[in-house]
Amino acid sequence: MSLVQRGRWVTLVGLALLAGVYVRALVFTPVELHQGPAQKIFYVHVPAAWSAMLAMGLVGVASILYLLVKDARYDRFAAASAEVGTAFSLVMLTTGPIWAKPIWGTWWTWDARLTLTLFLFFLFLGYLLLRGAVTDVGLRARYSAVLGICGLVLLPFIHLSVYLFRTLHPMPIVLKPSAPSLPGVMLATLLFSVGVFTLLYVGFVMQRYGIGDRGEGGGTHA
Amino acid sequence: MPETVPPNGAYMVAAYTIAAVILLFYTITLWRRGRTPRS
Repeated sequence: MSLVQRGRWVTLVGLALLAGVYVRALVFTPVELHQGPAQKIFYVHVPAAWSAMLAMGLVGVASILYLLVKDARYDRFAAASAEVGTAFSLVMLTTGPIWAKPIWGTWWTWDARLTLTLFLFFLFLGYLLLRGAVTDVGLRARYSAVLGICGLVLLPFIHLSVYLFRTLHPMPIVLKPSAPSLPGVMLATLLFSVGVFTLLYVGFVMQRYGIGDRGEGGGTHA
Repeated sequence: MPETVPPNGAYMVAAYTIAAVILLFYTITLWRRGRTPRS
């Protein structure tokens, strides 16, 4: 069985479990009294943000490894992870404003966290556009590795932006120095969803890695 | 504690629907690209 086929199976299992996340979140997880049902958007928004940041983190790590050892497999993995990260960041950037409208009264505000996550999305897009535009395989790998490392550097700023700047975005409630501040049933739903989104990331990347550089800017070696 | 829960379920439904559509669309895209023979 090829990597693409194995990736498809992982993705199918992930999608089945995603249906389980939906049922658990919508039916079996209590409604938060102050925010109402819109609070449940949290169970897809946060895992999507986690997967997008995981994707960019691994793009950055693979980019560093590529520049160190010049193994094309790292470049190929980074390309796969960037494309998958774009999909997850799109989920993050659409579900976030849908939550913000009823809770904040506005779809969007240019505060630090939101602006930096939008910048992350543009970095993903820029990374993919760069790969599509450069036909020389070696140059493409080097240029995109530099951009991938920029994305890795951005991640701590995104996570810490709620501490560093005055922002409307809620503080971290799980990844913080003290214990998670969520009731157990809500935390279990969130962690289940994070696990499923991570599995989907793995399945997508396996497929995308197996597909290889089809759809990119061709390939000629310098 | 508020007396009534805010009636904003439509936003929740919209967010869950859009998330599912994006993930399913990307799944189908990858599946189709995986079937295309290498040129």
